Amino acid sequence: MLFLKEIKKVVFSLTFLLYFAAVLAMYFTQFVPDCEMVIIRPQPGRESYGTTVKEIPEIIMPKAIDALVTEYLYDSFEAYPFGFYKEVKLNEKKKAKMQEIICELTGLAGEELDAITDFDREAVFFEIKISDNLTYERFRELMRQADAIIGGGSRYSDDNIVRNFSVVPGTYEDALAEYNEIFEKDQITGAYARLFCDYLGIVVAILPVFVAAALVAFDRRSRMEQLIYTRKISSAKLISLRYLALCVTMMIPVVLAAIFAQMHIASLYSGYEMNHWILFGYVLVWLMPNIMTAAAVGMLLTELASPLLAVFTQGAWWILGISSQNGLVGIIGNFTLVVRHNTIGKRALFLAERNVFIRNRIFYTLLSILMVLLTIMIYEKKRRGSFHGFFRIQKNSDGQSKA
Amino acid sequence: MDFSAFRKILTVNLKHNFFVHMGIAVLITGLTGILCNITALDYRSAAKPIETFLCLTGPVLLVPVCLPEQNENIRDVICSKRMDYLFVCAIRVIYSAFFLAVLIGGFAAVMRCCESNVTTAHFVGGFASALFLGAIGFAAAALSQNVTVGYMAALIYYLGNMGLKDKLGKFFLFSMYAGKDDGKGLLLLAAVVLIVVVFGMMRLRRKFSVLN
Repeated sequence: MLFLKEIKKVVFSLTFLLYFAAVLAMYFTQFVPDCEMVIIRPQPGRESYGTTVKEIPEIIMPKAIDALVTEYLYDSFEAYPFGFYKEVKLNEKKKAKMQEIICELTGLAGEELDAITDFDREAVFFEIKISDNLTYERFRELMRQADAIIGGGSRYSDDNIVRNFSVVPGTYEDALAEYNEIFEKDQITGAYARLFCDYLGIVVAILPVFVAAALVAFDRRSRMEQLIYTRKISSAKLISLRYLALCVTMMIPVVLAAIFAQMHIASLYSGYEMNHWILFGYVLVWLMPNIMTAAAVGMLLTELASPLLAVFTQGAWWILGISSQNGLVGIIGNFTLVVRHNTIGKRALFLAERNVFIRNRIFYTLLSILMVLLTIMIYEKKRRGSFHGFFRIQKNSDGQSKA
Repeated sequence: MDFSAFRKILTVNLKHNFFVHMGIAVLITGLTGILCNITALDYRSAAKPIETFLCLTGPVLLVPVCLPEQNENIRDVICSKRMDYLFVCAIRVIYSAFFLAVLIGGFAAVMRCCESNVTTAHFVGGFASALFLGAIGFAAAALSQNVTVGYMAALIYYLGNMGLKDKLGKFFLFSMYAGKDDGKGLLLLAAVVLIVVVFGMMRLRRKFSVLN
């Protein structure tokens, strides 16, 4: 009964209506336009099959070394330490360490390296020799060291080196393999499901915090807080039901958009065999932890202090998460809040990160549960009168405001 | 108009309502300087930190204009005073917009010192984007009498700009970074008009609530 009451409160709130509209707007303005083209079987004999990233040492090594030497000579290293572009200049100590690395990579002496003048940053690469004894493993180790000297997030980091220096033209076989993966392994819907979750993940990682914060603050605004405190229901039951109601309700527009997406995909590929449930599985595993986290932050920080703190905290977390991503495909960190896969297909790239993805989603689910437990504790303390929340006007024993 | 009353309103509001939000706005500005490269940027790249990150200071400063009166008891007390409540709100909007301009102007000046190609157009463009985004949040907060809704509306519009980009035409917040210089004047005008219209609606609402 209480659960239904909470659902009713959420559904008829203005914040939920805005959330509902934003989810559907994201679906119609971002996902649908990306799905207009039907994927067709590649034909042999075409001029181009696009590009693909392959880890080929013979391609990566000369290109990466050329780039590193050029940046060293200009004393200007491109890096994205927090996902934002930074021009890094090295101090003398670091410059000496970098020189050692380059000398080992190229076999040049330090004086020979510093004497190079015929380089041009605007040119793609200038030719520099590679040390004869250099193995690929040692090369990667040295590049890791170079990345650490730069401060991380450089073009030579493990995350970036292959896709920066080993982009090769795709072949018919590559295109055919990609096509087969979409139609056989992904059963069509899987490929679209990742794009669907990519777009909707942006919205559901932030907007539920507003709905949750407004719901919790509603008791305070309607001056029902004290009345609810005196009820028999336990804090654990009340907060859990409220949280459950928030999560279930906020899944409604997402599931609705998923139904639209499923119908859209089915209409594009009528006559093909496809799995109609994959999309909903992705939604549950990919998007539910985001909704749970944002809702838990909203409840916890509103109970602890104020809805504004909840909104600002989740907002800062979200915008730093969104802006600091180096790529939109194939890069998932253990703590990435908004998981991106902004393409149809590229299943192999996603599967390469599958374990990290699972760890990531489990982490956020557990974090949400922990935050809900903390909310219950805080709520209980408030009920007992031993805590009033931060940034709140407290009253003295005469009932007079201290402010 | 008694100038001492004006000064008192300004002092009390700055002290009790503004400093927290000003602190958050300063924090956003500082973080923008730390996280984004602001050194030796060309004309277009220099617009990125100003338009895409600093515009968030607009909602931070303008949405809480009606925050103190979100509590109905306080609102009733304020409305019973001789001083027009909307006049108090207008003072808050003016000093918030003024501080927004100072913040963006200061950041643009720092970028210029860091040898970035920042011009007056960056300042005006950044201010217009921030004020417009703030005005959307202010409108939503004032009309719904809920500050959370205000922040949410501003964020949804920000999200819309990330997704729809120049489909928003003259109302695209990041147009300078996208390579289009025109339209910022209109954005600025739209922000002012929106704020004025909201004040008009607030006055109408008060009038009808008194009649009822």
